[in-house]
Amino acid sequence: MNALRPKVLTLYQTKAPNEASSLRLICLAPAVLYDSFLFLLPLLFLLWIGFWTVDNYRPVPGFSLSNYIDIFQQFFSRSRYAYAIIQSLWVSSTAILGALLFCYPLAMAIAFVVPVRYQRLAILLAIAPFWSSYILRLYAWQMLLNKEGIINSFLKGIHLTKHPIEVVFTQVGTRIGLIHYLAPIMILILYLALQNIDRTLISAAKNLGATSWQVFWRVLLPLTRTGIVYSAVFGMIISLGDVLSGIILGGGTGKSIFGSLPLFATMILNEYAASTNLPRTSALATILIFIMILVLIAGTKLSHAEQ
Amino acid sequence: MTRKQDKPLTERLLKIAGWIYLFLGFGFLLLPIFSLVLFSFENSRLPSLPWTGWTLKWYEFLLSDGRLLEALKNSLIVSPLAAAAATVIGFFASYALNRFEFLGRQILSVMLIVPILIPPLIMGVAFLGLLSRINLQGQLLSVFLTHVVILIPTAIALITIRLAQMPKDIEQAAWNLGATEWQALFKVVLPWSIPGIAGAWLLSFTFSFDEFVISWFVSGFQPTLPVAIYSFMAFNLDPSLNAIGTIIFAISVLLLIGVELLLIPLLIESRASTKQNVT
Repeated sequence: MNALRPKVLTLYQTKAPNEASSLRLICLAPAVLYDSFLFLLPLLFLLWIGFWTVDNYRPVPGFSLSNYIDIFQQFFSRSRYAYAIIQSLWVSSTAILGALLFCYPLAMAIAFVVPVRYQRLAILLAIAPFWSSYILRLYAWQMLLNKEGIINSFLKGIHLTKHPIEVVFTQVGTRIGLIHYLAPIMILILYLALQNIDRTLISAAKNLGATSWQVFWRVLLPLTRTGIVYSAVFGMIISLGDVLSGIILGGGTGKSIFGSLPLFATMILNEYAASTNLPRTSALATILIFIMILVLIAGTKLSHAEQ
Repeated sequence: MTRKQDKPLTERLLKIAGWIYLFLGFGFLLLPIFSLVLFSFENSRLPSLPWTGWTLKWYEFLLSDGRLLEALKNSLIVSPLAAAAATVIGFFASYALNRFEFLGRQILSVMLIVPILIPPLIMGVAFLGLLSRINLQGQLLSVFLTHVVILIPTAIALITIRLAQMPKDIEQAAWNLGATEWQALFKVVLPWSIPGIAGAWLLSFTFSFDEFVISWFVSGFQPTLPVAIYSFMAFNLDPSLNAIGTIIFAISVLLLIGVELLLIPLLIESRASTKQNVT
């Protein structure tokens, strides 16, 4: 057999096509060209347009800091962008915390309680909401949660509450929408992380006398840390950029402990809808990019620090 | 001995708690969809309990109004095409990334995934900035062009999973038997990738069909369905939305069956094969 091997190898080498570079070029060209013109170019353009001005409702190319100066002047007064940014960070981070507290036990229950042959079905059910329309799911939540909605009318019907519970048009509503949006993906990530744990480690810990709590705290949690950090950072970025939940369930300026303030993403969308001032919107979007980069850096720092 | 008797008890309790939690968790996940479908058949304009009677009038409203259906039509034109274009571009790119070793391959494969990591709100503003300069904003074509950008990463990711499972020998065997590179690509690699390609198309279609912010910025007077629903909600909140939601839900059930048949086996196989490689 060993004598055969070199022969086979040379056979491959002689027969392997040598036009490789042209094929490689032709295969990669569409993706690279497409992304250069319709991904990189728009992004660079966005950064540039932020420095344009508007004259007579038309964007005028140039290099002026007026958008940024105006935005930073309104940071704490009038538009109060700083408050919106704080509201965004607060609502997103608490929503992510809630999402983790909801999803991790569910992923655990699917991985360890559901019989193996039904796990696939359970995962399929868990990611089912993801395949239905996000905006309609939010509409459905509004229908369920509003003052005279299904849940409140049900609770009143069985005489559990006298006054309706107000969730819609507060940031609690926004968070419910976000958690429901993120849950399918987070459950999938966390389930795969839990599945990848070597089961012998768990039984070893148990044989050595660990309680269920110790198994969870000392084995499961550390071994799924990457999955947790990934899903949290990923969820945070999505939440910061999400406009629909804040508008449909949060009512645009939903109440939180910081007061009735809009989310920054909502603000960007509404400002554009009201003014169609693209240079200014671009400047605001650029600021959002910087906030997200800061969050990413903080996230990676945090995960390294824990290590 | 005591521990041995203890353990099954706590374990059984944990199991019961697990089942209760599963029940509640899935309740939370599925409640909106369930009530969306159910209340599309409810008589009263304001969905609340108690139930006032069954009706199909919201479906009639939907059909006679036409705005949402027009938008549904727009979406059903744009999303399949954008998904197809992204899948074709993605297939060739993942083939090259999977087969060739070259300088900058790692960087390129990361770069090609990046578009999906940029939040759509930012991409929406960016796309509008560029497209409005070249007068391509405000049409279905704009939605198509921009959606392809965010769908290419999805396609590349899924097709790469499938290609990574392909034994390298079969392509080499084709060359040895005299196939040119292109023949090997189309007659060996392409058939092998079909599950990945189909899964990529399905997932891309779903992303595009559901995408709101980018479409809101670039679609103008030819709104896609989520954009039309958004503006519809600003003026009237009535169960027509439940009706269109139920129709979409039916479409997504069909997609889900497709996913169950294509995508999940793909992911599970890849995990199985990586485990085999480790051992």
